[in-house]
Amino acid sequence: MRETLFLKNTEAFAESMIRCGVRCHFAYPITPASDVMKYSSARLPQCGGRMVQMESELAVANALAGYACTGKLGATSTSGPGMSLMQETISFMAAGELPCIMLDAMRVGPGDGDIVGAQSNYHQATRGGGHGDYRVIVLAPSSGQEIADLMPHSVRLAYTYRTPVMFVVDGVTCQMTESTTFAEPHDYSADFDTAGWRFTGTKEHPKRFLLTGSYTHQQGYEMNERLRAKYAAIKENEQKWEEALVDDATVVVVGFGIHGRMCKDLVASFREKGKKVGYIRPITLWPFPDKAFAKLPPSVKSILVVEMNHGQMIDDVRLAVNGKAPVHFLGKTGGDIPMCTLADMSGMVGKLLDGE
Amino acid sequence: MQTLADYYGKTLKFDKLFSYCPGCGHGIVTRLVAEAIEGLGIREKTVSVVGIGCGGFSHHYMDIDAIEAMHGRSPAVAVGYKLGMPDNIVYTYQGDGDMSAIGLAELLHAANRGMPITCIMVNNSLFGMTGGQMSPTSLAGQVTATTGKGRDVHLHGFPLLVPELMRAMNGVAYLARETVVTPKTITKAAKSIRNAFACQIDKLGFSYVEVIVPCPTGLKKKVEDAYAWSANEALDYFKPQVFINKLEQSNEA
Repeated sequence: MRETLFLKNTEAFAESMIRCGVRCHFAYPITPASDVMKYSSARLPQCGGRMVQMESELAVANALAGYACTGKLGATSTSGPGMSLMQETISFMAAGELPCIMLDAMRVGPGDGDIVGAQSNYHQATRGGGHGDYRVIVLAPSSGQEIADLMPHSVRLAYTYRTPVMFVVDGVTCQMTESTTFAEPHDYSADFDTAGWRFTGTKEHPKRFLLTGSYTHQQGYEMNERLRAKYAAIKENEQKWEEALVDDATVVVVGFGIHGRMCKDLVASFREKGKKVGYIRPITLWPFPDKAFAKLPPSVKSILVVEMNHGQMIDDVRLAVNGKAPVHFLGKTGGDIPMCTLADMSGMVGKLLDGE
Repeated sequence: MQTLADYYGKTLKFDKLFSYCPGCGHGIVTRLVAEAIEGLGIREKTVSVVGIGCGGFSHHYMDIDAIEAMHGRSPAVAVGYKLGMPDNIVYTYQGDGDMSAIGLAELLHAANRGMPITCIMVNNSLFGMTGGQMSPTSLAGQVTATTGKGRDVHLHGFPLLVPELMRAMNGVAYLARETVVTPKTITKAAKSIRNAFACQIDKLGFSYVEVIVPCPTGLKKKVEDAYAWSANEALDYFKPQVFINKLEQSNEA
């Protein structure tokens, strides 16, 4: 049954993963992600599942990996410092080609940082905070509705490519409460046959073993080449973004998450005044939507990247733009208002329109 | 003609020679684990989660599914696995470095959780694969690659008594320390390993067996001297015993 609920977006994450068939949620408390586990601990038992509170994020990630070895899809939710602790195992799961769904409710700063929202984990999420040449599919929804809409897609990605899929949602968006309409419950993971790879005992198949290292240099080379081909296929096929009014734009604003969401109003207000401003909102941060920038029209004179950090996605924008137009940055993070306001963004766009 | 496979069954594989060093206790413990699995008839539904280090090779000699976990995290992987496949049998096979140093938190919380999984710690009192460094279970005064003048307990802490840490945990159904330094103790170790798996089959709770073994290479001793050292020095501190056996209580009931 479709249902519209008024929830915090952390709760929307929990509700949508449960509706998509996730029956095991491993987690450890951390602000601002803790509401996910509070919600799922009450909701999952109603559906025959459970929230498993582990002793640390190290244990969370490894239990998630063990669960994935049975061919089932588990989930976890955490925030910056917790995600740092999970990195070893995310590298392990990427190498072992184990699927899972993760949420990073991004908060500010290195170290323990602060609990206010931010987009500080862009590099960690998209570059791989763990060791080795690996990638994780990173989705950056900008509302509770988009979290719910992307969840079935994330399950498809996790199983199709047998890889961890990470939602990165800034702490501001995570803490917002808004109406979200959830689709009919459906176990999307059941649509995928895992019999070819799961580790369920030799009754079902000849001996299998999960090796993420290598016993020979040739084995290691083959594993890495297999991963390289997989990541190339993801990069080609799975770029996702939203854009508006780019075709004739003089200035294009680029933002993800909360700032991406603000672009819609920002651009509308400039268009009302006859100013040619458009926007691109990356939805997949990895693979980065290079294709959106490959077709930028010659009318674009400036690009403005707005982030809730000191400038991280701007690296990817610059690579994608490849010198076709100057790329500027506006960013704020931390403090009582941990983000650029619409006025901050308008002021900067105004200057760029004036050719400053 | 009767073959080894006829005698041992399918669990232990004979198409590959052990890669363990000559005299290493892992060879015996690996065989005992394989025999327990074969004897209990659980081969087809058993998965081994092995650690980093020499113990990581143990599954190569068995015809069972296996997962090689990172850095001592095997018990957490086993907990996750058990949640996904509650009717399968999952055990971890780890050395003392992997389990009692980097993985101690995961082990103790898995034990306290009481979920029916089995953990085997093969304790040779040093880090074997990385070159014989001090482990949490190195003895006082023991010379290792990183304690050239012997382990000084005031600098390095005391040898860690792992099962003793778990004996007060209600979730633990079987808890034992054994050794394989003599034929008689091998028989006892075989029984404990079998009991640990039996506890899991009966879903009585967490089960753990520590096995004291010699590492001639890491100890830099001849095989017979390494066995003598374990039988005397190591067992003087790490006393073999069965701490908890809920299997007996269960049978009595």
